[in-house]
Amino acid sequence: MARAPAPALPPPPAASGLAWLRRRLFATWFDAIVTVLAGAALVWLLAALIDWAFLDAVWSAEMRERCRETAGACWAVIEARGRLILFGLYPHEAHWRSTLACLIVVATMVLSCLPAFWGMARLAGLWLAGFGGFVLMMHGGLFGLPVVTTEQWGGLSLTVFIFAAVVVLGMPMAVVLALARRARLPVVAGLAALIIDTVRGLPLLTILFAAAVVAPLALPDWAQGDKLGRVIVAFAVFYAAYQAEIIRAGLQSIPPGQEEAALALGMPWRSVVFDILLPQAFRNTLPATINQVVITFKETSIVTIIGFFEVTASASAAIGRGEWGAYYVEVYVFVALIYFVFVFGLSRYGAWLERRMRLIRG
Amino acid sequence: MAEPAIRMRGVVKRFGGFTALDGIDLDVARGERLVLCGPSGSGKSTLIRCINRLDVHDEGMIVVEGVELGDEDAAIRAVRREVGMVFQSFNLFPHLTVLENCALPRMRARGTPRAEAEALAREQLSRLRVADQAAKYPDALSGGQKQRVAIARALCIEPRIMLFDEPTSALDPEMVGEVLEAMVMLAEGGMTMICVTHEMGFARRVADRVVFMEGGRIIEQAPPERFFSAPAAAQTRRFLGQVLGR
Ligand SMILES: Nc1ncnc2c1ncn2[C@@H]1O[C@H](COP(=O)(O)OP(=O)(O)OP(=O)(O)O)[C@@H](O)[C@H]1O
Ligand SMILES: [Mg+2]
Repeated sequence: MARAPAPALPPPPAASGLAWLRRRLFATWFDAIVTVLAGAALVWLLAALIDWAFLDAVWSAEMRERCRETAGACWAVIEARGRLILFGLYPHEAHWRSTLACLIVVATMVLSCLPAFWGMARLAGLWLAGFGGFVLMMHGGLFGLPVVTTEQWGGLSLTVFIFAAVVVLGMPMAVVLALARRARLPVVAGLAALIIDTVRGLPLLTILFAAAVVAPLALPDWAQGDKLGRVIVAFAVFYAAYQAEIIRAGLQSIPPGQEEAALALGMPWRSVVFDILLPQAFRNTLPATINQVVITFKETSIVTIIGFFEVTASASAAIGRGEWGAYYVEVYVFVALIYFVFVFGLSRYGAWLERRMRLIRG
Repeated sequence: MAEPAIRMRGVVKRFGGFTALDGIDLDVARGERLVLCGPSGSGKSTLIRCINRLDVHDEGMIVVEGVELGDEDAAIRAVRREVGMVFQSFNLFPHLTVLENCALPRMRARGTPRAEAEALAREQLSRLRVADQAAKYPDALSGGQKQRVAIARALCIEPRIMLFDEPTSALDPEMVGEVLEAMVMLAEGGMTMICVTHEMGFARRVADRVVFMEGGRIIEQAPPERFFSAPAAAQTRRFLGQVLGR
């Protein structure tokens, strides 16, 4: 039975800017009052912020006397203490090495975000080179570069290095844990579950503290390694426990027919996992993964507690010394901006990936 | 007599306490086209899934192209390379293009270099008349196209046996024809085939033998003429009455 289509409704009236304003912001007297008050507060806040951050601010360390008089920000503290914030206790004359090392790691991160580098062999090669370059620059001891021990590493390059190393070490661990947890052998699955649940049950601080302070007492000399190394491995295990559960959720969301089809085609187990299951698991859990990575970046600041001068610790040190003590707000704003650049970059990258995958899925 | 493509002897499969296959004896000759039918839950899927060991049988013996299925991984993969399978729900890989869906399994299963595997994939895709879809992702295809891609993907491994598990059941009626047509083409090419299907027209036209199952046992098997005109068992008659609406 054919039915005539219903007559088309008239198109909605084109919303002019003014009409929109009236409907959304000034619909009733009450709405209008709230809109005006909120608008005024916003303008006032913005004006105050601009005054503080720009118009009344003191920029140069030579004019530090003026900092006491002005109501604005004293950015002079960044000029005076910036190196301490960015490099921590790293020897002054070798700051260029720390800068270069930091750039190497950031470049490696950016490169591994490009689809052209997505492949086990390529990523492994890239990160070996990246970390090799970082350690060579930071530690020295080759090509006439004087040795700088890890106790002296600090500031932004330490933050970035810890973050990158934790994620790069932790991700394969997470994959192994997630796969082990769904293994057919109950012993393997049980062990993986035990590790994941135990690690997730402990605070990060406890784990890092154990790695830094307790492990040297328990481990034989040859297995102790460097304190920074131990802390990174412990941190990576912590990250892996959470990431493993994300990956497992991703694996569970794949219909069983996918694995069956791959097996039925005669593909070997390794290929079923790496070509069929894991790519889909990561796709399905991309927002959660990006979230976990961002959390990890911010959590790197916790290594302060066990005596590493990552960027927040060196910021505290920078203001701790008498003459600049009053300008901690400026210093923390500066550090917050550094974090923001990284975290914002990460989340934009995540959004781009999701868009790209939606396109692929048609 | 020549060695059959598939030999099953006393095959039993249990799920927990439930016996899904209850002593299956079945030989399938090379080049034979078998249609497997029976009511829902009778064990048809389980039977063909035991042939490529997606399900592991508990008792009895299964020999495929001269290789006995056991725990040995190499033997299982060797059998799977000889046995292609097409599922009701297509199971295409959504993160790969149609071309990659066909080429990648070939590369991984038989170690074929990419260029050669892609050439093979294009050949099979055009045989199934979906060559123009090669660059698309599966989500962009119609059901009939998906199932034809799935058939092409299985053929890329160059199997000697093809298993079909209700390949047209998830399709809109207007797309059933194009998939059946592809299966007829394969049958005419001499492929050994086991098809679980309720398409009795297909069975009449293509099958050498129709096998009827119920309760995990083979109740009756006969060439299609006799199967449809003079079924011996009461269960078969009841089943045919339901499917053919008589
Ligand atoms: N993984 C499983 N676990 C438990 N029971 C199962 C499993 N797979 C199948 N069964 C049971 O085994 C019996 C046979 O199932 P099978 O899928 O082989 O039937 P079928 O003949 O293919 O039915 P249909 O026409 O509905 O596809 C059914 O009763 C089913 O419930
Ligand atoms: Mg079935």
